[in-house]
Amino acid sequence: MKESRFHEARTEIEKAKKLDPANVYVIAFLDRINYFEAQKKKEAGPAVVPPPVVGQPGSVAPPVAVPPRTAAPPAVAPPRAPSPPAVKPTPVVAPPSPPQKPGAQAVPASPLPAAGPAQSPSPIAVPHSPKPREVSAEPAPSPAEQKAMEATLEEMKRQIQMLSHSLEQEKKAREEMTNQQLDSNVRQLRHSLEKAWLNGAPSETEGEELHKLAMSLTIPENVEQSLRREVKLKMYSNAVKEVIAKRQLLRSSSSTFEWLRKVYQVTMEEYLEYETKFLLDLVADQYKGTVLYVSPNVKSKDDLVPRLKAAGYAVVLSGNPEEALEKIEKVNPNIILCHTEFSPGSLSGIKFLHLLRATVKFNFIPFILLCQESEVSQLQSSELRQHEGYLKKPVDIDELMITMNEKLAHFRDYVSSLS
Amino acid sequence: MNKKILLAEDDEDNRDLVSFVLQRSRLGAELIIAENGQEAVDKAIEHLPRLILMDMQMPVMDGWTAIPILKGDTRTKHIPIIAFTAQAKPEDKVRTLEIGCAEHYSKPMDPEELITLIRKYLAD
Repeated sequence: MKESRFHEARTEIEKAKKLDPANVYVIAFLDRINYFEAQKKKEAGPAVVPPPVVGQPGSVAPPVAVPPRTAAPPAVAPPRAPSPPAVKPTPVVAPPSPPQKPGAQAVPASPLPAAGPAQSPSPIAVPHSPKPREVSAEPAPSPAEQKAMEATLEEMKRQIQMLSHSLEQEKKAREEMTNQQLDSNVRQLRHSLEKAWLNGAPSETEGEELHKLAMSLTIPENVEQSLRREVKLKMYSNAVKEVIAKRQLLRSSSSTFEWLRKVYQVTMEEYLEYETKFLLDLVADQYKGTVLYVSPNVKSKDDLVPRLKAAGYAVVLSGNPEEALEKIEKVNPNIILCHTEFSPGSLSGIKFLHLLRATVKFNFIPFILLCQESEVSQLQSSELRQHEGYLKKPVDIDELMITMNEKLAHFRDYVSSLS
Repeated sequence: MNKKILLAEDDEDNRDLVSFVLQRSRLGAELIIAENGQEAVDKAIEHLPRLILMDMQMPVMDGWTAIPILKGDTRTKHIPIIAFTAQAKPEDKVRTLEIGCAEHYSKPMDPEELITLIRKYLAD
């Protein structure tokens, strides 16, 4: 037998073992390689050792005493050493295969029959030496036997390579599935955390419940901690924004922020780490101007209003364009946000815009129409000027802020050009 | 014992702020809103809250009128009322106590101070 063949086979099987140490196929192949190595030692050394324990999984056939080898194989086989009691050959029936793992390819059964008494829990018929070696001493294998063994090793190597490939594919598939599952679980935990942290730090019991949820979702502890911190700071920042929008109603903004810091259990270190972001929130509160918001739903809670206030705008509400026309002189808004449709009898948003265009004082006031999807083409074809625009409902607040800034900038440019 | 608090306040921002502070106080209080004195009287009789925060300047019926009504009604006279007002003159404070208020709280508010005050009245 060539040394390199054993070495190659062992290298491949060790690779497979690293991927899945408990895999029964791997164990079976390893057993078989150990067996061949033992055979090799038997051929090489004259040491006398106790007889092998046959049929024990994982057992390595120990070296046995063999006659010294001659340069050429003897023409006639030397007399064999007394054999141990013959082991009755067991008909080889491959044990039932274990449930196939997802992604794993079926390992083809060896064309050769397995050894007599099962030496491993291998569910496949593992290639083996042509003859069971259960004798304590044996002559050197004949060239035909050697050839058969080499062929067996080749077949084993091929199967091991296939197995390694399958295991690698399976590992990749599992990792992908795990990552997808983790993402989904993290989203679920984030949602629960945001709900729990909405009004400040959750109680100890709620905290324990959230931790149990994270564990049940198999979210690693470091991910859970980082997510909790992220949610906490986000909720604190949102609360700071709300307070800023109402700071004129508070005796002291700083003591309120300090109270909020305690409510959200934000440590001073965390506060300092995120101070820039919090300061930007504070800057966002600077008065940016007055918005005249003309909406048929002024009575119902419109989340646009608090967001506009939080962004630093004073907001004046009107239920329809007629009411807006009454207020406009007094309010002198910097920008108008107007829905397109109002109750029958009222002006539409577009007519309101045309009316303002005809008024010298309000001719150039930035104006944004909030329209339905179906009205977009009509508005695209109408000749809106640079300081006029439209946004589709439901309005995305970030898009609204960008559009407002853009229209206000046009207005500033226009005013500057007058001087 | 219920933990209902009736807030009579006509200014939406003030109502939102009290609600914001109470939600974060972890007092477990339920806030009932009235936008004027008349609504406050009706809702106090309907809900029998543990505490009333009453703005003194409101449309329809102000606090100065609503409080004597509540204190004259056997169903509501036991409910402590905190005058919640921007009027911070000493004589205003004296006057609110004279008409039956348990406390006088001057706006603008301080969240921690307000919570401490409310907690005092919600304690069993």
